[in-house]
Amino acid sequence: MTDVRVYLCRCFSEVDRTVDLERIQERLLQNASVASSTIVDSLCLDSDIQRVAAEIKESGAERVVIAACSTMGRGDSVIEGLAEEGVDRFAIHLIDIREGCAWIHQDEPEGATFKAWNLIDMGVSLVAKKDRSDDVTIRVRPEVLIIGAGPAGLAAAVMVAKLGYTVHCLDRAAHPGGMLRFISRSYPNDEDAVLKLAPYLDEIHNNARIAFYPQARVETVTGFAGNFTVRFSSGGQERWIRPGAIIIATGAMVYLPHGLYRYGETQNIITQMELERRLQSESDSIQNAVFVQCVGARIPERPYCSTICCPASIKNAMRIVEKNPDARVSIVHRDIMMPGSILEDYYRRAMLQGVQFVRYRDDMLPAIKGYEQVRAVEVHDSITGTTRVLDADLVVLSTPLVPNPDNRYLADMLGLQCDRYGFFREIYPLHPLETRMEGIFICGSARWPVSSDQAIVQGEAAAMKVISLLGKGEVAASSFSRVPGQKFGHATVNPDRCTGCGNCVAVCPFDACTLQEIEEKYTYISRVNKMRCKACGNCVAVCLNGAMQVPEHNYRAVVEMIKRAF
Amino acid sequence: MNSKRHNDTSALIVGGGVAGIVAALDLAETGRDVYLVEQGACLGGQVARLDKLYPTDHCAFCPLWTDIKKVQRHPKITVYCRSTVQAIAKEEGGYRALIGEKPNSIDEGLCVFCGRCREACPEDAVRPVGEHVYPPSYLIDPDTCTRCEDCITVCPTGAIDLDRSAVEISLLISEVIWATGFGEVDLSPLPEFGVGSHPDIMTSLEFEEWTAEAGLNRGKIVQKSTGEVPRAIAFIQCAGARDMRMLPYCSSVCCMHAIKQAQWVKRRNPEIACYIFYTDLRTVGRDYYEYSLRELRDSPIMLVRGRPGLIHPLPSTDAIAVKYENTETQKREIARFDMVVLNGNLRPSAVRTADGGHSIPSCSKEGFVDVKTDKISRFACGFTLEPADVAESSIQASSVAARVSIERKVKNRTHD
Repeated sequence: MTDVRVYLCRCFSEVDRTVDLERIQERLLQNASVASSTIVDSLCLDSDIQRVAAEIKESGAERVVIAACSTMGRGDSVIEGLAEEGVDRFAIHLIDIREGCAWIHQDEPEGATFKAWNLIDMGVSLVAKKDRSDDVTIRVRPEVLIIGAGPAGLAAAVMVAKLGYTVHCLDRAAHPGGMLRFISRSYPNDEDAVLKLAPYLDEIHNNARIAFYPQARVETVTGFAGNFTVRFSSGGQERWIRPGAIIIATGAMVYLPHGLYRYGETQNIITQMELERRLQSESDSIQNAVFVQCVGARIPERPYCSTICCPASIKNAMRIVEKNPDARVSIVHRDIMMPGSILEDYYRRAMLQGVQFVRYRDDMLPAIKGYEQVRAVEVHDSITGTTRVLDADLVVLSTPLVPNPDNRYLADMLGLQCDRYGFFREIYPLHPLETRMEGIFICGSARWPVSSDQAIVQGEAAAMKVISLLGKGEVAASSFSRVPGQKFGHATVNPDRCTGCGNCVAVCPFDACTLQEIEEKYTYISRVNKMRCKACGNCVAVCLNGAMQVPEHNYRAVVEMIKRAF
Repeated sequence: MNSKRHNDTSALIVGGGVAGIVAALDLAETGRDVYLVEQGACLGGQVARLDKLYPTDHCAFCPLWTDIKKVQRHPKITVYCRSTVQAIAKEEGGYRALIGEKPNSIDEGLCVFCGRCREACPEDAVRPVGEHVYPPSYLIDPDTCTRCEDCITVCPTGAIDLDRSAVEISLLISEVIWATGFGEVDLSPLPEFGVGSHPDIMTSLEFEEWTAEAGLNRGKIVQKSTGEVPRAIAFIQCAGARDMRMLPYCSSVCCMHAIKQAQWVKRRNPEIACYIFYTDLRTVGRDYYEYSLRELRDSPIMLVRGRPGLIHPLPSTDAIAVKYENTETQKREIARFDMVVLNGNLRPSAVRTADGGHSIPSCSKEGFVDVKTDKISRFACGFTLEPADVAESSIQASSVAARVSIERKVKNRTHD
């Protein structure tokens, strides 16, 4: 039987003005695991922590329950303080009896006391019966795999290499550069895309730390943060690498609006990308152009705003006006999405240069007039309430970016999530480049449509996240806990009980469970990868034979807790 | 005066909001010493004041709290709250920064948040450091404190000392990152918004605090003037923004912010009519447009395209009149509302230390840090650089941290 010492903190009578600590002490005597219970004045003063720590060490108690304030209060610092004084952090269990009992149930001292006793009693059962799962530390591989060599991937590659790590950069195309290669200039600085790419391409080709693999396809990925094993093919050749982290920068694709606005019927109805190519090669002047925004975007089939189309249209409209001051250029739009100071200024500049903006309503779409040749665009101007006919010898359809079709293939392989369109999902807005799999980061338009400038910023940011992971040289499985200072342990398998049914493999959301063949017994048993396991307990719930356990919350402890509670 | 030992890779981050926190953690994780200076009483910046975050509708503070905790525990990060940068000058090996730290008469390390000082204070000078602060503690407002010392008598832990004085800290650092975030601009120069004429005409951050679940009203939507449930609320977008008289730029975060607030009003009380007066509904970002669609579908929020020309209290009632032209129907109308929320008046808050006549950092005329001309630092992130929301600030912060890391590598190489 494990001896548990219980400390009940009065918190300068904040607790015991409501909760009857002496009665709790009496009742705790019924619990055979409790070796002693002590009421203390306060646990958060350094002197008290030192005294209690000395007492614990002297008494040789194996486990301790501290009933004090919540972890949001000073509870955390109590544990921290005791740990600093040499008490094993694993042996301490904190129960909140101040915020959760004394304060919230001020009017009901009877109920508050019962609740506090109940919580402490359950805590005693847990701490007495829990086991420790062993931690594991691995050396990280100082290599990074970057999938995609568009602006985001290139920026990430260059940044990671400059910070001293080896980079493997893959792209399915034959040349690096991604979509930026097909763009004439980038907004809002009107930089020539070729010049913008040049320093990155230079670095990719000349930096000895960066290896670029064209025409590549990732075949398999195994392993975990710090040590992945990746098989991929490049130019028909199979290769293996072992990167410590992976950055996904697969970019996006342009939506082709077949069936919308008579696209494809005549030569002078083109997409924004086609215009980019035309502006790249030709210096011809366009006379009358009409840009139609939200073609295939913000509609029921694709209910998202693709971010880049408004600024791109404005950029190209200004370019046309610049080349031919007589040109009449209109942008037919719904909401004009130019957030921030730089883009708003850009929008204003376009208006000053004579670009005409006509707002249409989504229930009154513009129509293209003319048979073999486009002559005009008819649009209901929602601001004046009139129908206007805009002369046009060129109609540019501004279409959204759609996710790379490879995203789902990669997501399945890596254990990531895609949203319902097929863009990669982050964990939450505060950590926008991190995914649910440790060591795998997303950036650029693979995550959500972004401009080339933003893609570069995101690529650099993803590089920083990678360096944070790899910089220490080694990582412990327990360091992946998202709650600082908390270690939840990992699932362990009892090989004698495992029948190799594979239930755990099916339910593990982190792909931590695998089946291993035991040849001499003609059977399989499950193995848990500690670096991947997050102790969620799904496998424990589905294991038919009780072979799976999370030692920190094992059956004996949980059953005992429930018994105590009811 | 305290003086810190020189460390040639240390970085000073000015501003402890989302951008500052992320940049600090990223740099510290790579082994640098980081000094994080925050002028408020606690970390978290403007996000800590928010009730909910779009587009996930999560509580704003919980994810932030985890990161604040990491910052506080990180051995490489030193946090100075209630502190401002007073001067920065170039020195051999980096920059010399002078940090002024205002005292808190209550020792946060000893305060157990029992609230006895607050009850004892006759002047109401004691208030919590913040709505969500880890660990929670009180502070004494020196301006209202009369030094009656009642609080000292009741404090069980002896945390209070009214004689603590301001501290000046001198730091030698190698890089500076501006992450000073944003603040609200006073809208009273624009008379049409009627700021100050009625207690229920408030800015969106005030409204957020007024209706926050952890705030005064525990999530109830009531009028400030009467305490009654309002029948209709108007959310006015681009108040002061996209307006050459005040802020020529778009504050970028306000459209989503208004949609979020309106739908939370609807969620808590579907009887309240919500109107959003907008120019362009800028829902640019991951899932933002879909969020707006979902909210508009699930809870009928009226969208009116138009900027009100006049917001004025109605005489002899508690209501507020909003006069506007609906630019989609070209009709001029006057509508009656019980509350008006003004959205958009956000301005970057730069440090503005007078340094030999120059203000640092150097800013564009709109107030954004201009990293191209700033003499001290080429690094800035978050709203102080360009209007940004939580996700964007976090990305910029990591990117800046990466650039700072490279800087050091390059410098080292040239030294060799």
